[in-house]
Amino acid sequence: MVFMKKIFRLIKVHYHKPLLVFALLTLWQLLVMLFQVKEYIIPSPLSVLARIFVPEMAGKYHWLKHIYATFIEIFFGFAITAILGVFLAILISWSRLLKGIITPLLTFFNSIPKIAMAPLFILWFGYGIIPNILIAFLIAFFPVVINTVTGLNAVEEELLELVRYMNARKWQVFLKIRLPNSLPYIFSGLKISTTLCVVGAIVGEFIASTKGLGFLLKDSQAAIDTPPMFAGLLLISVLGLGLFGIISLCAKALMPWQKAE
Amino acid sequence: MRQSPHALAKGGIGAPEKAGMKKIADSIKTHYQTPVTIISFFILWQVSVMLFSVREFILPSPLTAILRLLVPQPNANYHWFVHIKATLIEVFLSFIVTAAVGILIAILISWSKRIRDLLLPFFVFVNSLPIIAVAPIFLLWMGYGIATNILIAFLVSFFPIVINTATGMGEVDEDLLDLVRYLKANQWQIFIKIRFPNALPYIFSGLKISSTMCVVGAIVGEFLASDKGLGYIIINSQFSLDTPAIFAALILVSLIGFLLFGLVSLIENLLMPWYDPGKEKM
Repeated sequence: MVFMKKIFRLIKVHYHKPLLVFALLTLWQLLVMLFQVKEYIIPSPLSVLARIFVPEMAGKYHWLKHIYATFIEIFFGFAITAILGVFLAILISWSRLLKGIITPLLTFFNSIPKIAMAPLFILWFGYGIIPNILIAFLIAFFPVVINTVTGLNAVEEELLELVRYMNARKWQVFLKIRLPNSLPYIFSGLKISTTLCVVGAIVGEFIASTKGLGFLLKDSQAAIDTPPMFAGLLLISVLGLGLFGIISLCAKALMPWQKAE
Repeated sequence: MRQSPHALAKGGIGAPEKAGMKKIADSIKTHYQTPVTIISFFILWQVSVMLFSVREFILPSPLTAILRLLVPQPNANYHWFVHIKATLIEVFLSFIVTAAVGILIAILISWSKRIRDLLLPFFVFVNSLPIIAVAPIFLLWMGYGIATNILIAFLVSFFPIVINTATGMGEVDEDLLDLVRYLKANQWQIFIKIRFPNALPYIFSGLKISSTMCVVGAIVGEFLASDKGLGYIIINSQFSLDTPAIFAALILVSLIGFLLFGLVSLIENLLMPWYDPGKEKM
């Protein structure tokens, strides 16, 4: 009963969002039909969806192959980003010396447009999935490190003094105070990184690749085949939002005390 | 400066100057690490490339990359100025358009609280999508060229400014609003005297994010299709395995990014001398 009530309340608060999206799509469909806009200029939403879901039309685009390639790139790019990012941040906040060496370099590299380095990775590794994973990692890495370091350091001084007084060891302080305290920061960094990972993977595919949704976009552009480009955009967004959703769920599961934004 | 005789007798005149010197010394002491580390990083890079004689097309030394910029090449002419100019125009024009349109739209949607509450979540949602992926569609519509790249740069940098500005416009002390409402201020006065000044720090932090995004957008546009610009050089040099030229172009791209970021910070300092952005970080 309580559960039902909760759902009803959710619908009551948020009903206008899907409605707005649906209204916009309907308007788009009607406008395209009314003015008979040519499909290669702006396709209607229905003809875009048909490219994905109607087997006869979808066949030539090999969606599964491209989705799989992009998914693998985003997934591994993000996994490496999350693990290395948090690990490096812990190192930085653990050792003064490392902090002095790494922080300036981190700030410096964070301020240059890293996506411009993408062709270098293609040159070094040849094209394929690996350079795209690395590009995704490169641009998504810095927000995670910076956020985690901020979180590890943003601890109440009084709390630290209290446990120091109680003779807590460095690793105890770390495990029981700094790490739990930094969780919200880590997750907000990870959320930023999900989008950046998608951007990195797609740009890598733009530059050089033989599969992936970014490749499909570029290939369809050359063939002036607009509907699959919109379909590709839709799938890219779904991949990005899916990852974002998973991270949000993890955040909720790990930090039940944290209020949702 | 007014000095009391007492202070004069104690040699107080020299004191302020000494304090100034000390401040500089202190600031060198706290900030020396950054340039020192970055310079040592580049020296380390230079030395290891020379020591292990790494081939130039794999990893050039920083000096080779800089020389590529300054010394004319026998078998390839890069016309650096043409490419720098193209990218500069793209980045700066797109930034100006983004700033003007972004702030204007944010002001328009902030005019009514209901419209703001309806549209702002929508903008936040779009901002979380990988917008750069629409770049090929714009290439298809407009063909390649500077205008397309400006539009791509505009699209990727637009949302941070709108979101930040609209957020700043909304985050006004309710008590202050009540007070001026009581004083019969009209919507226009509230906007000019309260909402806009209050939003300035937010606007500038949005502008700073966007300055980086404009560079990203312009470069990715050039990656996809172009016949000039630094992104074009990077892609072209990747094909011809001319790695030093890639690094040279990377240096220039970074400089353009720093230049724009620096300009925004400078204007920020001029417009809001009371505001210290460093204070809000950590």
